[in-house]
Amino acid sequence: MLSKSLVKKFEEILGQGGYFTKPEDTMCYSYDAFSAEPVQPDIVVKPKNEEQIKQIITLCKNENIPLVTRGAGTNLSGGTVPVKKGCVLLTTGLNKILEINENDMYAVVEAGVVTANLANAAVKNGLFYPPDPGSMNISTIGGNVAENAGGLRGLKYGVTKDYLMGVNFFDMDGNYVKGGGKTVKLVTGFNLPGLMVSSEGLLGVMTKFVLKLIPKPKFSRSMLVIYDDIIKACETVSEIIAAKILPATLELLDNFTIKTVEDATKIGLPTAADALLLIELDGHEGQVMDDFEVVKKICENLKGNIKIAETVEDKNRLWEARRKALSSLARLKPTLILEDATVVRSKIPGMMRAIQDITKKYNLTIGTFGHAGDGNLHPTILTDKRDKDEMLRVEKAIDEIFAKALELEGTLSGEHGVGFAKAKYLEMEVGRGTIEYMKKLKKGVDPYNLLNPQKMGL
Amino acid sequence: MEDLIKELKELEELVLQCMKCGTCQAHCPLYQKDLNESAVARGKISLIESVYEGRLDKAGSILKHLDYCILCGRCKENCPSGVKTDEIFLRAKAVLRKIEKLPSWGKVVLKIVMEKPDLLARVAPLMHIGLKFGAKRVKDDIFKPLLGSFSKRNIKQVASKPFTKTHGGLHKADNEKMKVYFYPGCAANFLFPEWGEAIISVLNHFGVTVYVPEINKCCGIPAATLGEIETYKKMVDENLNHINDIDCEYVITCCPTCQYALSEMGPKVTGIIANKPFFDILMFLDEVLGVNFEVKLNERYTTHIPCHYRSTKKERLKSHVAKNIKGENITLENQSCCGFGGTFNMKKYDDSKAVGMSKAFEVKSKGIEKLFTPCPGCAMQLTDAIVESGSNAKVEHPIVYYAREIVKSGISKDKTEKGQ
Ligand SMILES: Cc1cc2nc3c(=O)[nH]c(=O)nc-3n(C[C@H](O)[C@H](O)[C@H](O)COP(=O)(O)OP(=O)(O)OC[C@H]3O[C@@H](n4cnc5c(N)ncnc54)[C@H](O)[C@@H]3O)c2cc1C
Ligand code: SF4
Ligand code: SF4
Repeated sequence: MLSKSLVKKFEEILGQGGYFTKPEDTMCYSYDAFSAEPVQPDIVVKPKNEEQIKQIITLCKNENIPLVTRGAGTNLSGGTVPVKKGCVLLTTGLNKILEINENDMYAVVEAGVVTANLANAAVKNGLFYPPDPGSMNISTIGGNVAENAGGLRGLKYGVTKDYLMGVNFFDMDGNYVKGGGKTVKLVTGFNLPGLMVSSEGLLGVMTKFVLKLIPKPKFSRSMLVIYDDIIKACETVSEIIAAKILPATLELLDNFTIKTVEDATKIGLPTAADALLLIELDGHEGQVMDDFEVVKKICENLKGNIKIAETVEDKNRLWEARRKALSSLARLKPTLILEDATVVRSKIPGMMRAIQDITKKYNLTIGTFGHAGDGNLHPTILTDKRDKDEMLRVEKAIDEIFAKALELEGTLSGEHGVGFAKAKYLEMEVGRGTIEYMKKLKKGVDPYNLLNPQKMGL
Repeated sequence: MEDLIKELKELEELVLQCMKCGTCQAHCPLYQKDLNESAVARGKISLIESVYEGRLDKAGSILKHLDYCILCGRCKENCPSGVKTDEIFLRAKAVLRKIEKLPSWGKVVLKIVMEKPDLLARVAPLMHIGLKFGAKRVKDDIFKPLLGSFSKRNIKQVASKPFTKTHGGLHKADNEKMKVYFYPGCAANFLFPEWGEAIISVLNHFGVTVYVPEINKCCGIPAATLGEIETYKKMVDENLNHINDIDCEYVITCCPTCQYALSEMGPKVTGIIANKPFFDILMFLDEVLGVNFEVKLNERYTTHIPCHYRSTKKERLKSHVAKNIKGENITLENQSCCGFGGTFNMKKYDDSKAVGMSKAFEVKSKGIEKLFTPCPGCAMQLTDAIVESGSNAKVEHPIVYYAREIVKSGISKDKTEKGQ
C-alpha cells in the first residue's frame, strides 16, 4: 500500500485518470499469460508520453518503488508479474506509429504499438515486417523487443532482434538513452539495441523503436506433408536445411496435436498421420520452384506424402491449423504448460525422441508442435494445477526436457524468455560467470534493483 | 458472504478454461477503446477468480467491471480456449447482484418491460406523442429528445401502436405449405413494426403461414445483463412454454439477441428447450425456403454483422446480402461491435456511443448511403451514431426491401425450393 501523499505525487504527474490504486483495478495487472501465482501491484500507471515516464521513474527511484513495465501482458514466463509489488507501468497509452519510411525502409513506432498494426501498416506501404509471433494481434513491439519474440518465419527471416535498428529508453536514473538509429550501418558507441533485446524490462523502460522493413517476397508456395512416423518428419527438417534450402516456414505438428486441432476446427487434417510438416517457400518464382523440386524429393525419400495448397483458401487453412495448435490443446485440460526448449536444428530428431520417452516415463499428456525449422519445439503439457501428484511429475518432466535440450547444444528457451518461470534453470545453461556478469551489468544501471526485480533470478 | 463466495466458486470449472492468453484483447470493443485490462474478458475473469480465491475481499467492488461490458460475445467467439465468457459473466453478475442492489432506474425498467408487457403496450402511444412534441425532429422519423440525459440521443420514433397489438394472431398464407411462429421482440414491437409487417408479407407470399403472439413478452435478456437472473429465467420459461404450445414448424426472429436469449443461453439456465428450431428471418429465407430476391440498389451500401448473430451463420449472412442486394457493396475495415448492448447503452451511454461512432465515421468517410443490419439494437445504435457523424446513410433491414421487391416485381412463388 502506498501512502496517500505518495499517490498524490503520482497524480500530479499523471492526472486523475492516469493511474489506478483500487484493489479491483490493480488486480487486473497481477498476472500475465504464464500461469503463476498472481501478485497485485500497489499502483498501476498509464503514461501518455515520455515526459511522464521520466517523472514516474524519478519518483519510483526516490521512493524506492519497484517498477515493472508492461505491454499487452502476453509473455509466457511471468515477466510482468510484479513479484515485489510496487508500480506497474503500462505502455498501452503510447501506441502511435510515428513513421513508415518507404524509401529508406524503416518504421519508427512507440513502445505500445501492437505488432499486427505495424505489420499491416508496412503492407499498406508495400513493405514487410516479418516477425510474426502467434500473439501478434495483441503483443506490443516493446514486449517483442524485451522478449526477442520470434514467430513462424524465424528460420529464414530471423526474429525481432534482426529488425531492431534503434531504441530509445530511460534508465533508472531518468537518463534518456538513444541506441542505434536509422542508418543501415552505425557503430557509434555500444550496441545498445543489442543489449535491450531480451532485456525483459530489467535494464530500462523502452519508449521508441526504429525497425527495419524489407520488400515483400513476390512468390510463395505452401504445402502439407503427411508422415507415418514423426521421426521421419524430423529427419526431413534436418535434410532440407542440410540441402541449403531455407523455407520461410517449416512447422511440425505431432499426432496428438493434429487430432486435437481437427476436433476443434474441422479443417480436414489427416488425423491418422503420426506427424505433419507445414512448409512454405517464398522468394522469386524460379528459385521457389527449383527449391520445391529438391524439397519434394527429400520428403518423398522419407516417405512423406505431399499435398500442395493450390488456392489462397487452401493456404489459409494450413496456417489456421498451425495457429490453432496451442489454443486447441488448451481446451482439453484446465492447465497448460507450454515449453520452448530449442536445439540446433540438426538435432531435432533426437529432441523429439527424448520428448516421446519423457512423456511415457512420467505418464503425461504432451502435445508437441512448433517451429521445427529453427529447432524450436513447443512440447505442451496438459494437466490440472489442482492435481498435486501430477504436477510433481510435470516438474520432473520439465527438468528432463531442459537437461536434454542443453545436452543437444540447445537452450531452455527459444523465444518465451526467462522471467521468473525459468529463473532457477538459467545458471544451468549459461554458467556462474554469466550470471555474475549480468548481475554487475544490472547493478550498474539499476543499483537499487528496482526495474522488474527478481526476474532472471536477479 | 461466504455463501456468495461458494456460489462464485461454482464457476471455477468454467473460469479455469481461461489460460490468460489475452487473445480477447484484439476482439473486445471496449478494450480497443480504453486499452485497460479491466475492460476485457481476461481481466474480468481474473477478478472473479480473485474473489473466490480470497485475494479480493470486497466482492461487490468487481461488479462495476463486470457491468462495463457490452456482452457482445466477441471474446467468447474468438477465444482459442473456448471459454464461455457469456455464461461466466451472467452467472457472476447474478451472484454479485445479491450484495450490490440494482439501481432504481433498473428496477423500474425491469418491472415494466418484463412484468407488465400490457402496460408497456398501452404507454407506447404516449411515448409516440411525447417524442413528437418533446423532441426535435432530426430527419425522417429520427428525433432528438429535448430533455434530460436523453438529449444526446438520436432516437427512432416509437410506433403509435405496438406491432403485436396491430398484428397479433394468425396470418394465413394462400397455399399454405408451412407454419411458423414469429417472435418480434421488444425492439421490433415498439420501434420497427415495419420489419414485422415485411416479414409477414414476404413469408405469406411464399406460402408460409405466420403466427404472431398477441402480447410480446420480453426475451428477458435485459434482466440477465443486469444480474437479475431469476427474472430472466422466468421470461425464458414463459416464452418457451408458449412457443412449445403453438403448433408450427419453426420460430422466426428478427433480433439476434432475442434469438440468443431464447435458444442459446436460455436453455442453459432454465433447462427448457424449444421443440422447434429458431431461425433469423434472413437465414430462414436463405436456407429453409431457398429463395432469391436480387434487389437492385443504386447506392453504395455496407452490412453490419450483429455480434449476436449465430456464429456459424455470420459468413452466410454476408454472402446472403451480397447475393440479394445488387449495388455497390463496400466492406468496412471496422468489423467490430456497434457498441449498443441494450442495458449497457442505458448505463454507459458515452462509452457505448464512442464504440458506435468509430464505425459511423468510416461510414461517412466512405460515402456509404445505406447500412443494412438485421438487428434492431444495432439499427438503433448505428442510426444514433450515423446521424451524429453527419453522414446521411440510412440504416435498414434487408427484409423491408424484399417485401417491396415482391410488390414491385411480383417475385414468382415458384422460386421457392423446398428447404434442405
Ligand atoms: C497465444 C500466444 C502465442 C504466443 N506466440 C509467441 C510466438 O510465436 N513467439 C514468441 O516469441 N512469443 C510468443 N508469445 C509470447 C508473447 O506474446 C511475447 O513474448 C510478446 O513479445 C510479449 O509482448 P507483450 O506486449 O505482451 O509484453 P509483456 O508480456 O507485457 O511484457 C513482456 C516483458 O517485456 C517487458 N517489457 C514490455 N514492454 C517493455 C518496454 N516498453 N520497455 C521495457 N520492457 C518492456 C516486460 O517487463 C516483460 O518483462 C505468445 C503468447 C501467447 C499468449
Ligand atoms: S478468455 Fe479466452 S481469449 Fe481471453 S484470455 Fe482467457 S483464454 Fe485467452
Ligand atoms: S462481451 Fe464484448 S465487451 Fe464484454 S468483455 Fe467480451 S468482448 Fe468485451
